[in-house]
Amino acid sequence: MRFNLGLDKYSGLYLGALFIIVFSFLAPQSFPTMSTVHLLTSTQAIAGLAALALLVPMVAGQFDLSIGATANLAGMVTVMVQVDAGLQPLTAVALGVLVGAAVGFVNGFVVVRLHVSSFIATLGMSSILAALQVIVTGNVEPLPVDSELFANLTQHTIFGFQMVVVYLVIVALVLWWVLEKTPAGRFLHASGANPEAARLTGINVDRWSWIALTTSGAISGFAGVLFVSLTGPSLSFGASLLLPAFAAVFLGSTQLQPGRANVWGTFVAIFVLAIGVQGLQLTTGEQWVAGMFNGVALLVAVALAASRERVGSRKGAQGTPADEAMAEAVT
Amino acid sequence: MTVSSVVSGGDAQQGVAAGPTALEVRGLAKTFGDKTVLHHFDLTVEAGQVHMLLGQNGSGKSTLIKILAGFHQPDVARSFTVGGRSVSAGSAEQVRAAGLRFVHQELGLIGPETVLDNMLYSDGFPTRFGQISSGRARKRVMASLELVGLDIDPASKVDTLSPAQRTGVAVARALMDTGDAAVALVLDEPTATLPGAEVERLHAILRVAVSRGVGVLYVTHHLDEVEQLGDVVSVLRDGHLVAAGPVVDLPRDVIVHALVGGELEAVQNQARPVTAPDEADPVLQVRELVGDRVDGLSFDAAPGEILGLYGLTGSGREAALGMIFGSIPRASGTVRVDATPVMPNRPRASMEAGVSYVPADRKSAGLFLELTAQENLTLSNLRPFWRRGRIDRRAERAEVDSWFKRLAIRPADGAGQTVGTFSGGNQQKVVMAKWLRLNPDVLLLDEPTQGVDVGAKAELHRQLLASRADGTAIVVSSSDVDELVTLCDRVLIIRDGRVHRELVGDDITDHNINRGFLEASTSTNG
Repeated sequence: MRFNLGLDKYSGLYLGALFIIVFSFLAPQSFPTMSTVHLLTSTQAIAGLAALALLVPMVAGQFDLSIGATANLAGMVTVMVQVDAGLQPLTAVALGVLVGAAVGFVNGFVVVRLHVSSFIATLGMSSILAALQVIVTGNVEPLPVDSELFANLTQHTIFGFQMVVVYLVIVALVLWWVLEKTPAGRFLHASGANPEAARLTGINVDRWSWIALTTSGAISGFAGVLFVSLTGPSLSFGASLLLPAFAAVFLGSTQLQPGRANVWGTFVAIFVLAIGVQGLQLTTGEQWVAGMFNGVALLVAVALAASRERVGSRKGAQGTPADEAMAEAVT
Repeated sequence: MTVSSVVSGGDAQQGVAAGPTALEVRGLAKTFGDKTVLHHFDLTVEAGQVHMLLGQNGSGKSTLIKILAGFHQPDVARSFTVGGRSVSAGSAEQVRAAGLRFVHQELGLIGPETVLDNMLYSDGFPTRFGQISSGRARKRVMASLELVGLDIDPASKVDTLSPAQRTGVAVARALMDTGDAAVALVLDEPTATLPGAEVERLHAILRVAVSRGVGVLYVTHHLDEVEQLGDVVSVLRDGHLVAAGPVVDLPRDVIVHALVGGELEAVQNQARPVTAPDEADPVLQVRELVGDRVDGLSFDAAPGEILGLYGLTGSGREAALGMIFGSIPRASGTVRVDATPVMPNRPRASMEAGVSYVPADRKSAGLFLELTAQENLTLSNLRPFWRRGRIDRRAERAEVDSWFKRLAIRPADGAGQTVGTFSGGNQQKVVMAKWLRLNPDVLLLDEPTQGVDVGAKAELHRQLLASRADGTAIVVSSSDVDELVTLCDRVLIIRDGRVHRELVGDDITDHNINRGFLEASTSTNG
């Protein structure tokens, strides 16, 4: 074997390293500091959770466009039940996650039972959730929760890292175990790779799709709860979670295990993107950097995944036709 | 090994109009990295002739076709001639302009659209002031359809055509706007997915085109077709041209030997009983199955027998096994395994009852092309590897390797590769292993060797005979008569969704199956 830089698998890590070097050079005072590291990890922990939430249905071949709206609604519910109903923080957290899971369950129902494509089902759901949020909050931002326990859920620090980072790592570890080490993971991957073949192998594709969407909802709900604990209530934070999550999952599927949506690839991608955004913001100070960067990254990631599939199919003796691979990259 | 004094279509031919040579390739070779895929060889296709190209998967024939189509650059000879004119390799436009056309296995027709639209998508519609001129469009399309003797309305939807007609439309499309110039046409396994009767119809279409002076290079796995259609035959093995010459000079056993390099032992069901087995305890009992095109299908299968199902398109044969397994819904009827009823529409329940099902289309229904061979193979049952909260990959790999060895799956160390990179025959072996490892009591197979090379086919047949010896009840639904004759203890001819005739033991011959099928077709073909 020839020495291999692993550009096909580790390009994201190289890109991240490149960002760090370039931005350290451009902004030597502000960028290469521990405070940047802590800021990045804590702010990106929520985005990372949203990306992991999306990863699960994506593995099973389903979209979930409602993760942002789900997170937002779950966060608002968690705040309001504490402020208005005086519920205990931990009960409120559980309720928030439950709201997310319920939304995911309904998504699963619409997709599996009503045979609506997940793209449309979750698009519709996110609009419904936004409306529900207006009904629940009256479009007035609720007061922050006055509870140390609730704030410490995320803001308590360990080794300088805020707790929220720990949750991200725990969720990532659990998902990695489920998706890569258990039969459930195999069944989810199989359902996404070829639903018909999965069905003929005795896999209940509908059930796994439903489970995947419910899981996505629950993790989104958890992300929303953590957000309001970390930064306080907001009526519109959900919308900003969706696009980076998609960018991270697609970019992640070109990393570590190319051609396969995977946990650590997504993990790497979310931080590489964040480093890029953070660095550009520090050096340019422009507001539009994050949106532009994430949008471009999403397009590039999908294009990369598609071209990898094309090359792969040309190499293979009787590989999949390129158009099939293209279709694969966008589903 | 290499026959270097190769193809000499020119002097070997029997009374076909001697036009210019349709396609001539000299000294072609191709290397990828350090792997030589095609060793220096020549190939000539004369106008008005059918040149059959045979080769197992991985023999280099796909690469040859890709070079001709302009996808790959050959190593040395950078040009070939089409109709006497030189064409530089590597340019799809030049190749097409010179009159070398292709019909790929994937026809690329859009079913819900009309024949006319389908034929003009790639060539462009004739327009006047930006609007499609339907008169001229129709005329062009009709001219091309006439060239292959297809009498169909260009306004009909492709979905309404028979499979042979569809391939005919693809041929006509390929021959668009070639006028009277001698052209060469390359067909890549056009009959791989066609049922028996349709193959004959497609041949008729091709003969019309050939009689107009088209030179055809015809890639196939079916040796029958060589005799039925071919004038000249070339055989590729491991990138070498190992046999070439007029079809009349190359008997079948010589071709088979050239194809597989003498490693193929004849597979034949030796232990075939002369009479029907006493139906004391059939393990599979199918009673009055109804649904799709199946209408009152009943039969039994006993342990240790191979039962064949044969029937023309629309006879209900294609849906029968899926319905038994539960992947296709059934309206009524019962399926019993060991006298226990199996629930409809529940593949998982069938598997638990001891039924394995190898579906017909391995790419869309049998495999997960982007998952690894290992993941594909073990997905049917992961329980043995589930230890202490995780899948034990080492144990899994060990079992997969043993299956790779048992079925001679290549690449031998390819368990961790995505199965999409495997050749067709090896993909099918992976599907077979996935189901054999469940140790089924009943093994159902739909078209088990479709689009598979001769060597892999023999291996798959050997596995079925071994399984039969272990007492498995095997049901093979196939459009390949040879396969049924080779394997089966009993053959059921299906017509109108039920059993029309039963052939047992020595009655199972090419002749009898075709006769049963023709009897069946006279009244149903409408």
